[in-house]
Amino acid sequence: MNKITFAFKNMLQQKTGRLEERWKYDSGTFLLSSPVIEDIDNDGKKEIIFGTKNGKILSIDIDGNLKWAFSAEDNTSEAELMFLDTESSNSINSSPNIEDLNFDGKKEIVFGTEAGKLYVLDNKGKLLWQYQADGAIRGAPIVQKFAGKQAGIIFGSSDKNLYFLNAQGKLIWRYPCKSEIESCPALIITTTPLIVFGDNEGTIYALTLKGDLVWKFETKGKILAQPSFQTLTKDSGPVIVIGSTDGNLYCLTEKGSLIWDFHTNGAICGKATIIDLNKDGNMEIVFGSCDNCIYALDNTGKKLWSYETDFWVVASPIVTDIDNDGKLEIIAGSYDHNIYVLDSEGSYMLDYVPGVSGIIGQTGQYGDAITKEPGKTQGKKIWQYQTEGIVVGCAYVQNNIIVNTDSGKINNIMHKSDG
Amino acid sequence: MMEKIISKKEELKRVPMYIQGLDENIQGGIPEGYITLICGTAGTMKSSVCFNSVYYEAVLKNKVALYLSLEQSYPSLLNHLINMGYDLSKVNVLLINDLSNISNLLSQLKQSKKGSLIFADLGCIRKEIKDVKLSSTANTGWINVIKNLVKKIKTDIGLDLMVLDSLSALYVLSKFENPRIELFYIFEFLRDLDITSFLISEMPLDASKYSEFGVEDYLCDGLIYLRLSQFRRAVVREISVVKLRSTQVNTDVFSLEYKNNRFQALYGGQNPLL
Repeated sequence: MNKITFAFKNMLQQKTGRLEERWKYDSGTFLLSSPVIEDIDNDGKKEIIFGTKNGKILSIDIDGNLKWAFSAEDNTSEAELMFLDTESSNSINSSPNIEDLNFDGKKEIVFGTEAGKLYVLDNKGKLLWQYQADGAIRGAPIVQKFAGKQAGIIFGSSDKNLYFLNAQGKLIWRYPCKSEIESCPALIITTTPLIVFGDNEGTIYALTLKGDLVWKFETKGKILAQPSFQTLTKDSGPVIVIGSTDGNLYCLTEKGSLIWDFHTNGAICGKATIIDLNKDGNMEIVFGSCDNCIYALDNTGKKLWSYETDFWVVASPIVTDIDNDGKLEIIAGSYDHNIYVLDSEGSYMLDYVPGVSGIIGQTGQYGDAITKEPGKTQGKKIWQYQTEGIVVGCAYVQNNIIVNTDSGKINNIMHKSDG
Repeated sequence: MMEKIISKKEELKRVPMYIQGLDENIQGGIPEGYITLICGTAGTMKSSVCFNSVYYEAVLKNKVALYLSLEQSYPSLLNHLINMGYDLSKVNVLLINDLSNISNLLSQLKQSKKGSLIFADLGCIRKEIKDVKLSSTANTGWINVIKNLVKKIKTDIGLDLMVLDSLSALYVLSKFENPRIELFYIFEFLRDLDITSFLISEMPLDASKYSEFGVEDYLCDGLIYLRLSQFRRAVVREISVVKLRSTQVNTDVFSLEYKNNRFQALYGGQNPLL
């Protein structure tokens, strides 16, 4: 009976409004990762910061105007240049990280490049220092602050090492792995803080802050996703949730034991978002897969619903209340060039909806109803917006979705109510 | 660049192999911009057959061709060609054996109206660049050198044809972790630049496969097979066109002869005519 009530409630409470483009910025090159939105210069206005395939970090204001650009170019000789893939040798493959690294009240921008350089810029795009790793830096570096105004930068490299630098760019230690590291590490604060990351052979590592191995967990595919760390229920301890290109989303204890896994039919490349979708006090997990679907799972790894797009979902979904109706929505970009806004609760398809079978059986009638399996909760699309390229990442700020596409276009999409 | 779709077959421009008796059996030549695998065991004149085509294109149509030799040195190659009777004074000949001076070298050819043959002696370059830090670190290093060289020539003076001698040597220089994927992108790179390319593939003595990974046969647009055929104590060279896209091909096996400074493909079946 509850399900029937929910279905009818859903049918009646249709969301209103639409997604509209506010502005578009053309970076003139390809983009490979999500933008980051921060007020980096403390002027009370947010900036959008992102890296490009030709090795530039751009900062644009919230109205789509360029503020500054930094070019990560090497002083490479003509002969050395011949050995590089000039189109991607300085490529910035992942999002920059923005933190006040040196505790001066101003934020710094930290990012890595395909050429293996880690750069730290000030909030106006001026180079503070750089560090050369022995291989490409493809995953985003993380910045962790410690007591006593100390900070560390942690990143993986294709030279098979995880690096730990101090805030001045001095190597503190590096940990050798079995294969290349393309994932972004995460720092997990438990009784003993742990650095958790994966390599291209599918091993998930947990290291102490001194670089000592605590545990390992083997998966059967590359690890490209950043781990998420969260307590899922009031009665349980915190868990690590991480996807693998073997198609599984793994939920591990902080000691590296498997609690549950959930299988999809495609690689999981993005970080899972953990949030209480239905406000029941327990967390849900939302993530995308290269089987084209966006999934919502409960805290036991059971599927609540999934929504199928037309191509891979690589970027991490964003969960927010975009239309200010007090309910959460899920924003997810797909390689099918679209941004989808989904209802966080999905919709329940009745085993039998009076009248529906008669309508959909008629020639020329088509609707969501015939594509859904009756008797199950399905992902429910509220809005969809087509961009000009593969959606490689998005960010959200104050009703605005900032979408990065591979074609180099950045779209600012806004929810507009009908009234 | 996307491959152009023609409205009638005459629009498809062709690059002759300049082998009398063969061109007539492939509608006049290989379609421009196509990638052809030239396969054969040692001694089957793979390099000479490729050079023959690019030489006459440079002489007769003022085209620019790049001959990329990964192992045979420039002097050895040149001596071989002169000995075969090719008159290199009819074209501009440029040697690239220094990666740091390519722009200057290419500028010499910019104003010329004659066809040009550019020889890139990668064997020599390999010896010279021991100090370049990137040469040994990345698997893709030498592939990037080839790509960047081709792109540079195409951009600076225009490039119509190229010979890669050989794919087998390239595989020794660059370890292919996913050959199917990596070769796909190399072939697409050449197609995008619209360069008619001859890729030489050294076959094993038992001639069990045309190429190292097997995928090259499928990725290429054309495949020409050269072989030695023995009958009693006589050995002759033979040539056949195994595949050539967008072309009506006579796939018969021809005897291949080089006489009076010309290649000829003769009907003679698989066994030498005695």
